[in-house]
Amino acid sequence: MDYELSSRELAWRDEVRDFISQHVDDGLADETRQRGNEGRGPRAQAFLSALKERGWWGLAWPEEYGGLGKTAIEQWIFIDEIESAGAPMLPLTATSVAPTIMRIGSEAQKKEWLPRIQAGEIEFALGYSEAEAGTDLASLQTKAELDGDEWVVSGAKMWNTMAHQATHNWLAVRTEPDAKKHKGISIVIVPMDAPGVDVQPIWVWPGLRTNALFLDNVRVPRRYLIGERGMGFYYAAMALNFERLSIGSIGMARRHFRALVDVVRSLVVDGKPLREDPWVRERLARLQVEIDAARMLGLQTAWALDQGGVPAAESSMAKIHVSELTQRIADAGCEILGLNGQLHADDPRAQAGGRMQWLYRLAPMLAFGGGTNEVQRDIVGFMGFGLPRK
Amino acid sequence: MRLVATPEQEQLREAVAEFCRREMTVERLRVWERGTDADEILLREQIARLGWIGLGVPSSAGGSGASLTDVAVLVAECARGLLSRSLIGAIEGATMLAALAPAEPALAAVASGDNRVAIAVEEEGVRSAQAVGSRLESGPDGMRVRGRKAYVPHAEEAELHLLVVRDGEELACVLVDASADRVSTTDLASFGGDRQAHVVYDDAPVLRRIGGAEAVQRLDRTRRALALAQMIGGMEAVVEGAVAYVQERDQFGQKIALFQAVRHQIADIGIRIAASRHLSWEAITRIDRDLLQGHELEAALAYVGRSFREACFTGHHLHGGAGFVLEHPLHFHSERAQSLAIRYAPEGPALAAIASELLD
Repeated sequence: MDYELSSRELAWRDEVRDFISQHVDDGLADETRQRGNEGRGPRAQAFLSALKERGWWGLAWPEEYGGLGKTAIEQWIFIDEIESAGAPMLPLTATSVAPTIMRIGSEAQKKEWLPRIQAGEIEFALGYSEAEAGTDLASLQTKAELDGDEWVVSGAKMWNTMAHQATHNWLAVRTEPDAKKHKGISIVIVPMDAPGVDVQPIWVWPGLRTNALFLDNVRVPRRYLIGERGMGFYYAAMALNFERLSIGSIGMARRHFRALVDVVRSLVVDGKPLREDPWVRERLARLQVEIDAARMLGLQTAWALDQGGVPAAESSMAKIHVSELTQRIADAGCEILGLNGQLHADDPRAQAGGRMQWLYRLAPMLAFGGGTNEVQRDIVGFMGFGLPRK
Repeated sequence: MRLVATPEQEQLREAVAEFCRREMTVERLRVWERGTDADEILLREQIARLGWIGLGVPSSAGGSGASLTDVAVLVAECARGLLSRSLIGAIEGATMLAALAPAEPALAAVASGDNRVAIAVEEEGVRSAQAVGSRLESGPDGMRVRGRKAYVPHAEEAELHLLVVRDGEELACVLVDASADRVSTTDLASFGGDRQAHVVYDDAPVLRRIGGAEAVQRLDRTRRALALAQMIGGMEAVVEGAVAYVQERDQFGQKIALFQAVRHQIADIGIRIAASRHLSWEAITRIDRDLLQGHELEAALAYVGRSFREACFTGHHLHGGAGFVLEHPLHFHSERAQSLAIRYAPEGPALAAIASELLD
């Protein structure tokens, strides 16, 4: 057994850290916080452009598609460092949509979409969920019917985050109404400027924007159906597979925990340094141990990917642990900061950047989003321990 | 990076698993929790011949010269198979003496299983090696040790005692002949199966001074590494037992594994064991290579110790009464979980060390 990064991996980590030190500063963090997900500011754009110039847009892409072909461990290092620094993450277009097209698209589809993604000309939102099809995605009702050489798409999507900025939507739609529900879904690309597309904002608790997407007889070319008809449910799962390392990453939670620890070091409460309070010390130490455990679960997923496996149980373990740990960090952070823990980041008196109350508001989404934790626990039971389904 | 055992380590695991399946029964364990008998002595001779006791002992002393990681793989599998604590203790004692004093003349008899080593660190009211009060004194007839060691595992049956003592201002490790006149033991009715005793050293003659503060630290890390291995092995057995049981137990007309509430308990201990496994092996391999970088040992001790106990509670819960009877082996794991955590992996001190690194 060997838990040490190789010299190549250490060199890669140093390269990423060096890049971050050159391109990430407090101004970028402030801009990201102020904008939430309401569009990227100039600093975030500059950061992502710099990533692209380095060729890191295609970090995980095979070399034949102009990517760097980085291993899963190297991707895990990258994600951890970027999230830990509070820098913008690569968009889903690059990390999820493009690799899926590479895997299942026709040669013509690869030629049509991949160069435009690589050039940063287009960006996708992911449209899977509907009002009545959340965790049970296979129940989705948005339909696409073939009319000549065009698909006619009608229905409504929920939680279509980024739809207000995207140029295209990567939609799961029902194309085979008579097939079993898992077998009747396809993936169709819909340009956001097509007639009949309407985006309505939905504001959620942490101050972030997501959207409802309405599609009223939207016509798209037949070739915009990606891969094979009726395989969309599996393609959506595949696209999610490419996100395994991000979903279980502890980088963001560790950043906020570090900020909390830094504040605790300097605070004086009731005339005594807060860091001397036994309950504060125990709470922080316990969280640190759980962060260490989270790191191991993420590493386990990455390592399994590099061995050629499909680590469904491993990534579910990481997702469950990190999402629920983030809730505990936020909860402990608010309690440790006391009344100041309620202050918003815009209040100059807020400690730890005012992020504990924000993390507290964000954290529930991490557990129910990206595949609710009940489903993840089922996956661990079925795939990790071979428990029966029937 | 390699997060799984090597093929050679897997072979060793399979051999140990097969041995334990064949030899370890609840009835034997129940007897051996309290004292040895001819059968256990026979088994000790067998595992010595198999090279398990001397696995971490240099070849010059008749051992295999394997790494601490290899020994930990062996110990983990022994714990999974519920090899008696006394037999595991024989492997641990040999490994620790070899780690501290690879040229020690007494090692050959230890590797062959003829002699055993008991590790005597704790004292009544003293939980940290740093606070021991037993003293090493030098006189005209050589070095002697004076003091009382408490809760010493396998003290009564061991021929050699490896003690942590105070040598002036420094800490030191010394080796004592347990059969010396001035060594007296009192058996304790402890649970956990490691047959503890209080030991009085009343100017007991010292065979050798093994080393100073560095040896004490090496002893501490080595025994905690092997404790982590035992906890991982035991936890794996508990989880495997629970997974098997929920697939065979029928209630309300179906296997209880089909209930989501049951499945999710398996998932939760599954997450804990996955994280525990990697935290443990990272700490063990780093101790082995002298690569500890921060608080990884303390994190492993805190997390794994608690996780093993929680896995046991979940195991008992899922088994219900079937796992609560003395004929079922689960309670042996549960006792070991607590026994190992109390001595080697108390959560409070581990968290205190981490807090100090974070905040001081």
